[in-house]
Amino acid sequence: MVALCAAAGVVVVSAAYTAGRLGHDDARWADQLLWAGQALIILPVAFRLLSRRLLTEASAIALVIVLTVSEYLTKICYSPAAFTYVDELAHWRSAENLLHTGKLFTPNYALPISPDYPGLEEVTAALASITRLPLFVCGLIVAGVAHLIWISCLYLIFRLASRSHRIAGIAVLIYSSNPGLPFFDSMFVYQTLGLAFMGVAVLAARHLASDERRTGRAGWIITAAVACVATVVTHNVTSYMLVATLEVITFGGLVARNRISAAWASGLAVLVAGIFTGWVVFFAPATIGYLQPPLTSAVDAAKGFLHGAHSATSSLKTLPVTPEGNVLLGLADVAVISLLLPVGWWLVWRHYRRRSWLVGMAVGSVSWYAVVGIRLFVPNGSELAGRSSTFVYVPAGCIVAVALWHFVRPAVAGARRAARWRVTGAVAIAMVMLFDGLINSWPPFWERLPGAYQAGGFERSVDPEGIAASVWALEKIGPGRRFAADVGGYQLLGSYGDENPLNNIYFLYTSPTFTQSDAKQVESQQVQYLWVDSRLAAMQPASGAYFPGTDPKTGHYYHPIPLGDLTKYSSLPGVARLYDGGSIVIYGLAGVATVGAGFYAK
Amino acid sequence: MRSSQADIVVTAAVAVLAVDTAIAPSPVWATAVVGFALFVSCGYLLGEVLFGTRISGLERVAVCGGLALVVPVLGGLVLYFSGVLLHRAAWLGLMVGVTLICDLVLYVRRRAGLAEPFEMPHVAWRGSPWHVVAFGVAVLLAAGALAVAEEGVAHQSKPRFTQLWLLPERDDASVGSLGVTNDQGAATQYRLVLLRRGKVSDTWNFTLSDGQTWTRSVQLTGKYTITANLYRLPDVTQPYRHVNTAIGTASGA
Repeated sequence: MVALCAAAGVVVVSAAYTAGRLGHDDARWADQLLWAGQALIILPVAFRLLSRRLLTEASAIALVIVLTVSEYLTKICYSPAAFTYVDELAHWRSAENLLHTGKLFTPNYALPISPDYPGLEEVTAALASITRLPLFVCGLIVAGVAHLIWISCLYLIFRLASRSHRIAGIAVLIYSSNPGLPFFDSMFVYQTLGLAFMGVAVLAARHLASDERRTGRAGWIITAAVACVATVVTHNVTSYMLVATLEVITFGGLVARNRISAAWASGLAVLVAGIFTGWVVFFAPATIGYLQPPLTSAVDAAKGFLHGAHSATSSLKTLPVTPEGNVLLGLADVAVISLLLPVGWWLVWRHYRRRSWLVGMAVGSVSWYAVVGIRLFVPNGSELAGRSSTFVYVPAGCIVAVALWHFVRPAVAGARRAARWRVTGAVAIAMVMLFDGLINSWPPFWERLPGAYQAGGFERSVDPEGIAASVWALEKIGPGRRFAADVGGYQLLGSYGDENPLNNIYFLYTSPTFTQSDAKQVESQQVQYLWVDSRLAAMQPASGAYFPGTDPKTGHYYHPIPLGDLTKYSSLPGVARLYDGGSIVIYGLAGVATVGAGFYAK
Repeated sequence: MRSSQADIVVTAAVAVLAVDTAIAPSPVWATAVVGFALFVSCGYLLGEVLFGTRISGLERVAVCGGLALVVPVLGGLVLYFSGVLLHRAAWLGLMVGVTLICDLVLYVRRRAGLAEPFEMPHVAWRGSPWHVVAFGVAVLLAAGALAVAEEGVAHQSKPRFTQLWLLPERDDASVGSLGVTNDQGAATQYRLVLLRRGKVSDTWNFTLSDGQTWTRSVQLTGKYTITANLYRLPDVTQPYRHVNTAIGTASGA
């Protein structure tokens, strides 16, 4: 019955997406249809897991799988014909390159770090080569299977830690409210596969720590080793999160006086750290440069915060304005988890202090408050908080599940009516978390429903005209050319076009004249081609920014860009108008250097 | 054939079939079915070799699935660093090779009594026929949802456009590639006018069906600007699309 409801929910969500595509993307009823479909998927699963009715282990597993598969199907329904999200497009390019050249580590200008961690592309290319199915289909299958493996491993880890299939099921339910679930956890991106390997590695570590089955130790040692290596060659962030997870488990083992658990976890942590260091040194040296800017930014922000040098609201933008309901739901979710965690810690200490892995979860769940701090007080902390949610929700979900289950479980309940209220309250709490996870996640509210082209968007900036222009660029100009483009063109040129789209090129589009200074910057940045989409003059940017990298007017585009700022190149000496697709025009800038910067207006 | 080795026989047959479908011309559905079966066989055998019957249920599925995905990741690296390009033959050889090696190892272990013989898993079914019907309907609904989404994409209003280009050939800058592609969704009549120094040098009238491309090579020179105006007939008053080579600094150049 739950599966039937969930399937009906997927149909309703799909109908809402179709309504968006047919021009009703702004209609309130289409939005409500989407949330009604999501409620059909989530509510029966939450109610069944949190109800006091007998729940077999098979039923708990079935509920977890129904929830995971249904949500993944809604993700496919959003983009059923091709990848549209920028990171998915970037990985699709890496996979295409591998499929056509047979070589690893070929450059990917859209996401230069991606070829250094080729696990996802290897699996997808292998499946596409052997089955002869399109790369897109194979990508969906690989991401879907990897996502299901990750969630299954989480369930098993929660089950082994808590020794309760009910708590494990509830923990997966709470984990499913993490904003990264429909994004980094399940898209065709390297983290999705990295998480699957991480899950298998942690599961193997749990079995190695167990005294019960010494006979199967060799199998688990091999499994742990290959899963650790596969994690390292698949995703950088997941690799060091695996190290951190194993260290937390070590700490939990020491607190619970389980030396075997601590020894295996610390041994595997050293193994992963060693392999990761070797991989970075010999095969992926770009990792350091890739991770340095966000880490430096985070450290600087934290220092600033500690010294009281800033306010998080100082960087607030005027566009797009997050709906109040989304903000309130997000705050309610933060408040609920923040309040339930101490309850969970108390319960763990009181009832489960000898269970080293549950103690480890309790220790790890402290990170929740750090993430909340980053989200609320660090400038641009939302992205960092969102990225870490995939990992922070693992221990936090487990401890919140312990608290929720002790709240509703029959032994605690008194009168039947009171027990019913407890269940209703727990389901309501779970729904707040899950809907916050969906509403404040991906896709963003301004492209929640698919539809017509939007300037400055993500999925909705991918349209046939842009794809055609990018494919033309690859065929006629060749790969790896340095392009200036808006954010829509950036993601298309980097993927379909296999070109080298540049950041910080806003200056080419935001003034009515092309000046000497612009010409000098074109030369210094070695801009070879210019992508101009006249639709930027017809609409404001959905995300608040038109251009990739630094766009100084982010959030302050109160009107679309004047058309003249975009069409000025048509009559500019030294500039060739190479391609005209209607909305999109591609110019060649090679002649700018020939003419000389001094020729242009001051 | 003894029933205790049935899994080895089946997985080996899948490996052989995978090679057969790769060599002989086969429909995509056949290569897809055999390809998936090969991945499943590989994961299953790795699970059997490493764990035997010590793991079961969801744990077996998750671990075997993970191991099946590990094979192309680590195997692909080993092949690549050995100088093998990762094309279809390499991937097929890797997956088939691992499957057959695992078959052999499992067979030897079983003969030596180190592994338990194969037994069909016993599934205790406690549901009613209604459960089966409900699950079947759920699967149909999910498939229907994907079909609805696909229909939505098919019927989405798409921008209709025509691409016009003029740029030097990559291997010879003195020759230009002039081309038109029709993406208007229907056959369209065009007139393309090429101007040198602002004067008509060539005119072409043609009709392109949807998705069709028209190309010509034209002589380029850096001395003056060459312009191509494309008209969408019957309107010849305003160019529908236009491109040009780099404009010089002198007027009329």
